[in-house]
Amino acid sequence: MTYAADAKLRPAAGTDYKEASPWRTRGIALALAGLVVATIAFFGNLVAAGQSGVDQASNLAWTFGVTTTGFALVKTAIAVVLWGIILKLWLRADSIKTTLPQLVGTPGADPTPLGDLDTPFGKVAVTEKAPGPLPIHKMAKKMFRPMVAMGLMAVIVGLIVSFVAAGSAPNTAALAWMQGLQFLGEGMLLSGIAFLLGTILWAIRTAGGEVQEALGVKVYTPKMPGTAKAFVALMMLGLMVSIAQFIGYIVVAGSSDPASAFAWLGPFREVGLGLILAGIALALVTIGNVLGFQFWRIQNLIKNGDRS
Amino acid sequence: MATTSTTSSDFAIDVSKKGLGYNKPQQMGRKLWAPMWVMSIMAFPIALILGIVRSNAIASGEAETTIAALGHTTTGIMFIGFTAVFAAISFAIARILGEFRKGGGEIQELVSSEVRTLKMPPTAKIFILGMAMAMMTLLIASIIHLVVAGQVSSGSLSLADAETAAINLEAVRRLGVSVYLVAITFGLATIIKVLRFQAIRVRELAQVST
Repeated sequence: MTYAADAKLRPAAGTDYKEASPWRTRGIALALAGLVVATIAFFGNLVAAGQSGVDQASNLAWTFGVTTTGFALVKTAIAVVLWGIILKLWLRADSIKTTLPQLVGTPGADPTPLGDLDTPFGKVAVTEKAPGPLPIHKMAKKMFRPMVAMGLMAVIVGLIVSFVAAGSAPNTAALAWMQGLQFLGEGMLLSGIAFLLGTILWAIRTAGGEVQEALGVKVYTPKMPGTAKAFVALMMLGLMVSIAQFIGYIVVAGSSDPASAFAWLGPFREVGLGLILAGIALALVTIGNVLGFQFWRIQNLIKNGDRS
Repeated sequence: MATTSTTSSDFAIDVSKKGLGYNKPQQMGRKLWAPMWVMSIMAFPIALILGIVRSNAIASGEAETTIAALGHTTTGIMFIGFTAVFAAISFAIARILGEFRKGGGEIQELVSSEVRTLKMPPTAKIFILGMAMAMMTLLIASIIHLVVAGQVSSGSLSLADAETAAINLEAVRRLGVSVYLVAITFGLATIIKVLRFQAIRVRELAQVST
């Protein structure tokens, strides 16, 4: 079943599967722009190492803001490329749907009973019809856009605060707001990327179901593997840490002696991002496994089909 | 930028009778993503605990050399974690590319077609090169952090020099992270190219099979 909202997550009707993806080019260009921004801050940082006092504090403040903005641009670029992957996945699935009946011929009889089945790629559900999306897929489809948008906004507001901090150094309150806002933004951007990966998993699952259903065979769908469950848990935990560190920095912004709090908030905010990144790695591993399963399923259909 | 490749032969390809299977980086990706992931998951909490210890040291007014050494150690371990998690992500992307290469080859072989395999595109080469450069940058910076921690702790490095080292290393680490993220973008961009190639190639197989 195709939901009306899902139409926005598929290529427009009449999109040519042969065309190069404009999202790929845009993503690469944005990533290189982010690298340039981060490189500018790199030299600013090196200059700061040779300074002292207010000059150094001022330089360190703006370089922090600019570097994090550079990271945010590259992460946005990653999101743009992932969007391009989603669109191309559908076009590839259309090609398979069009071609598979000729490659398979008459599908062979499948005595596998409905229910769960063990395969070299883990447990799969065998059903007559393609199953609908899982709750996490529904959430991912809705959330990736707002997460990326809010993340970028938080980073940009943090960048402005970094310039304020640089102009009024030493300004502990501004430093606290800058760090809290920018790492909240980075956490949201990474969560947006994680939701995009969840949307890719949805697209692979839905397209796989549609292809099998169109062929008139039983639908084999991988059950949610441990890597996918851990991905969701790590992403949620990381996002919560990113929100918690932001609250921590707001509290510290009003403190007259924040050195002790800054000492644990720094690693804490980085752990938040680390957890989301660890979740992203598992999402990519899950995508690899699901693709392996789909190639295995297509091969079985071709082997068992009668093309005479 | 829309190009008009109409057949798979418009791409840079290898033609063979058998599927080519995984290439070297993909084999490496399949083997190494898990140990890298585990290493990152171990490093993050250790660094956090060290950060809390350092925070307590500051609050209780311990020696500045201890505080500086703990700062360098925390950052060194944290960025070993980041190096590992970025490596796990990169290897997982290589693993995805491997599934496309292996699966695509096997299906072409199965329908008695010549096997057309996309040659490694420039984006994939940049991905590997960028990842290697960024990994070395972050790893070296992390090791230097640990060395500086030892030096400041033993008194062979002054507090001022330790602070200068911290700022310089921060600059290097940040650049390393940027390069890593850009490399990952290139790796993902390679997937788009492979998807486009396969969308074209699979339709050609219908003609071969008839």
